[in-house]
Amino acid sequence: MGEVKLFFGPNHPGMHGNFSVHMYVEGDTVVKARPLPGFLHRGFEKLMERRLWYQNLALIPRICVPEPDINEVVYALAVEKLANVEVPERAQWIRMIVLELARIAVHLMSMAGIGGPLGLYTGPYWGIADRDRILDIFENLSGARIYHMYIVPGGVRKDMTPKVQEMIVKFLDYLEGRLPEFENLIFKNRIVQTRLRGIALLDRETALEMGVTGIGLRATGVPYDIRKVDPYLYYDKVDFEVPTATEGDAFSRVYLKFREIPQSIKIIRQCLERMPEGKVNVPISEGNALRFRVPKGSVYVHVEASRGEYGYYVVSDGGEKPYRIVVRGASYPQTLYGIEKYLPGTRIEDVPIWLDTMGVCAPEVDR
Amino acid sequence: MTNFMSNALEKLNNVVKKFEVTEIDEREVKIDLKPESVLPALSLLKSEGYYHLSLLSAVDWIDEGKFELVYILYSWNDGGKIIVSTKISRKNPEFVTVKHLWPVARYYERELFEFFGIKFEGNDDMKPLFLENWDDLPPLRKDFDPLEYSKKKFPDREYQKDVIHEAKIIRGDING
Amino acid sequence: MANNTIPKKEFFAPIKAWKYMFRKPVTIKVPYVKREAAERYRGFHVNDWNECIGCATCAKICPTDAIKMVEVDDLPHEYGKKPQRPVIDYGRCSFCAMCVDICTTGSLKMTREYIHISPKPEDFVFAPTEKGIHGVDEVPIGWVRDDDSDLLELERVEMEMIEGEERAKSFIEYVKGYSKEKAMHEAARCVECALCTDRCPQHMQIPEYIKAIWKDDLKDALRWLLKGDESNNMLGANPFSAVCGRVCTHRCEEACSIGNRGEAIAIRWLKRYIVDNVPEYEKVLDDIKPAKKDKKVAIVGSGPAGLSAAYFLATMGYEVEVFEALSKPGGVMRYGIPSYRLPDEALDKDISFIQALGVKIHVGVSVGKEIPLQKLKEQFDAVFVSTGFTLGRSTNVPGTEHEDVIQALPLLREIRDYLRGEGPKPKIPKSLVVIGGGNVAMDVARSMARLQNMEYGSVDVKVTCLERNYEEMPADMEEIEEGLEEGVKFYPGWGPVRIIIDDDKVKGVELKKCVEVFDENKRFNPKFDEEQKLYLDADMVVEAIGQAPDYSYLPEELKEKLEFVRGRILTNEYRQTSIEWLFAGGDIVNGPDIIHGVADGYWAARGIDEFLTKGGK
Repeated sequence: MGEVKLFFGPNHPGMHGNFSVHMYVEGDTVVKARPLPGFLHRGFEKLMERRLWYQNLALIPRICVPEPDINEVVYALAVEKLANVEVPERAQWIRMIVLELARIAVHLMSMAGIGGPLGLYTGPYWGIADRDRILDIFENLSGARIYHMYIVPGGVRKDMTPKVQEMIVKFLDYLEGRLPEFENLIFKNRIVQTRLRGIALLDRETALEMGVTGIGLRATGVPYDIRKVDPYLYYDKVDFEVPTATEGDAFSRVYLKFREIPQSIKIIRQCLERMPEGKVNVPISEGNALRFRVPKGSVYVHVEASRGEYGYYVVSDGGEKPYRIVVRGASYPQTLYGIEKYLPGTRIEDVPIWLDTMGVCAPEVDR
Repeated sequence: MTNFMSNALEKLNNVVKKFEVTEIDEREVKIDLKPESVLPALSLLKSEGYYHLSLLSAVDWIDEGKFELVYILYSWNDGGKIIVSTKISRKNPEFVTVKHLWPVARYYERELFEFFGIKFEGNDDMKPLFLENWDDLPPLRKDFDPLEYSKKKFPDREYQKDVIHEAKIIRGDING
Repeated sequence: MANNTIPKKEFFAPIKAWKYMFRKPVTIKVPYVKREAAERYRGFHVNDWNECIGCATCAKICPTDAIKMVEVDDLPHEYGKKPQRPVIDYGRCSFCAMCVDICTTGSLKMTREYIHISPKPEDFVFAPTEKGIHGVDEVPIGWVRDDDSDLLELERVEMEMIEGEERAKSFIEYVKGYSKEKAMHEAARCVECALCTDRCPQHMQIPEYIKAIWKDDLKDALRWLLKGDESNNMLGANPFSAVCGRVCTHRCEEACSIGNRGEAIAIRWLKRYIVDNVPEYEKVLDDIKPAKKDKKVAIVGSGPAGLSAAYFLATMGYEVEVFEALSKPGGVMRYGIPSYRLPDEALDKDISFIQALGVKIHVGVSVGKEIPLQKLKEQFDAVFVSTGFTLGRSTNVPGTEHEDVIQALPLLREIRDYLRGEGPKPKIPKSLVVIGGGNVAMDVARSMARLQNMEYGSVDVKVTCLERNYEEMPADMEEIEEGLEEGVKFYPGWGPVRIIIDDDKVKGVELKKCVEVFDENKRFNPKFDEEQKLYLDADMVVEAIGQAPDYSYLPEELKEKLEFVRGRILTNEYRQTSIEWLFAGGDIVNGPDIIHGVADGYWAARGIDEFLTKGGK
């Protein structure tokens, strides 16, 4: 049988965002694969250079739809580091709450993401419905559901009201009751087990060579989490565990996402408890927002996103606009290098599973 | 600076003659190197535990006539970040590849060629990665003006509506 | 390999699923159920047109360029407001609410409305009103600015000053001026709305020079000060920047948009920062070399208007000669304003630049006495008169003819000459009463307080005026406050009856209560309560109730041709009188302050230029 060229994407139910893979298949096995990014290239890095430090706030969350808050926090942390600004304590705790809520939201959405390729459509419905409750919280906290534009250099834009705190507590209680149902539906499901176990294997050596971070790496048995290794905000002050697995297969990666949810709940509860009263932001520079200036310098700041290491390299020339910002997408290594090198040998029907569990995310690769 | 980091930098001293260290914070330093020292420095730092390449990118210092290449290395041991930086000429920019150290660098380098026009010796795959039918300067260079480009390429929309008249009707100043 | 880890399916598992049949669905039935957005929701905008001042700050912060300012022709033209309102393109808007957070008045807010459906792109462009974009009477308000989300810096950078008691001991300038850090900080508060430019009589390019300070480019800043808008006939240039940077009445700060919610930008102090931190102007701006024109202009009086006219004419290439009756140029800036507010060095810096441009200043030459005006007419192609208000007004109550009842202006002149070492010491009374509530009265009171401190070590100065309280008094509030700090006492709301003279010596003033200063037509028409009396002790009384022009230098035949309106000469907008070669400005035309004089000089220079280009007389 000869080689057949198969275009996968840019729009496909099993594909995240607009992204395409050109595959050469023999039978139903992939022999060669070529990633084809660019469908979502919006030139963020260039656009950021042309906006004021504060104006960029409206732009950066748009790099990543499911988890926009990492962009805001990375940008804020980088600018604060350059400007040498001490952020009020309350703001830092609020930021952690937002980040962890976002992490839960993404993981709930990934319950949906894995449901699609497997044909298990209850997962998507449940995941999206519960994620919506988090979006309600965000709406009450920041005034928007998806692009919050809430975490700003210097703190957060507005205080977290008691009403929102109440909503969060209520949601966490609810979610804890929901988790066994999810486990029952997805992870104890025979079909899921058969479909995901032993599929899309990635060993530790390869993961490190590729530069894979996040869950892809932790599924190979190492507890490498930036929140623990290079703590930012107050992650060194809260108690949580980093779940790991040793199998390195698709199932362990999806299950790790699920096991991170209780840890995030634990972190949020601690944050709510330890959050002091007080101011929630300080200006990063003198004057009004049109005239914010950030001192000369360059910093790299990264955080643990749901997909791995997400970072910004920010350069300032002392002016009112950033001189250069480089976005390090968490899934850049596996999306480009990984697909070319490690997709061959996979069966066609496993390709979506490979892509989904490896956290391939086109918007952050294209930028 | 963490101990782990200062050890690595000390060993770097043996390999590379002169370099400048800027301590950004406890777990982040930036070192400025001469172009020829970059490869030896990177391979040493990789063997010293900084084997994760977080980022490879460039900055266009147009006033100086230089491109700055930035390699950000990260260690899972101490959470330290070392930013290795070097400046190359902006005219016919060329450098050497690091894809033998980090295979993923192939794509970073391809991206840099596309967005800055920097060539990497030893990396032949320089097909455009993100852009299609691009016909202007490499777009992340400082002398490329995206606004001008989009004005040239795309039409502007003109609105005919008398917005203020409509607002006055809404306010009740005049009857519509 | 993995198969053995798969759990056994429970027998009852399918039955468990039945329980979900009875759960309430999480979805809602649109459009039967309407979903209410959150309290902070960032939906469409509302804009209170009565509060909005059209400053365009929202359009500047907008990261997506969605806001454009559009003229609304029937809005009233007022100082501190622009007849324009924001128009928002919801095809571009990113609903970030930065426009709300930076709004200088708080007129812009966001609502909880989020549904707007139309197939036409035109239907997404709106000028939001009080009723939102849909004309709903009770729009549910969503995101509003609060103290945390505010993007303006509302507090002014503090100016360092010598404290009240300390500064009252000498004539040293007590406002110390901004340091570089402080000036750049204050400049960073500006939003460049240019409402100040509209308000300034001379339309100085204020946002531009403030921006230059913020960029730490003082050369550029000075260029904006002294050359204004170079592409538009130097509009907004001010040769008396060092003077105005200290003593300008700064109407601009009243128009400042930041002043709506906070403290206005310290425009005056920023101007002063520029001139204080550059060397002689001619070293910075060495490119003023106009082509010489063989026309000559004479200027009578070297006050703000006269020297400004000289400056602008010189930059046009005219040969200019200024005639000043007193021994130094500067007029009111030299002889009126006390040196603790305006030291000679600042004035000299401005004047020497004007002289460096080739302007000749003849001092001690009184036109009308040494040279008749008619002679100037013969020797020059045009004449500009700006002789100011030099005569004092008297209350004319009994006793004012006494030699210890004196006029404010001659006294201030005497004090400045004495401090400069060019005149005798003026008579310093142990106890003084100043009649008048304007800035000249404040100058007299505060100068005398200083002299008393220097002479006797204590202050006894009393100021009395018809106006019933500090708000009504024409003097600047800061002058009154600073006077109080320096030990001056105020008795507002009293009118003089007579000067008490005993044994040919002034003993005090008898006053009666003033119940109303202006009548219902807002005309000056004081009413008194004759029963209520107040006696103030004094060895000396100074009358500072106003000044009048001295037109004695004008020959009768010219006077007949000129038109006068309430003592002032009537001119056209180019300050040309009804005699075509005679131009006039300053107090004798407009008044009342230095910056108006500068504006007179500017427009007269343009008028003279036009007149002479057309052929002259």
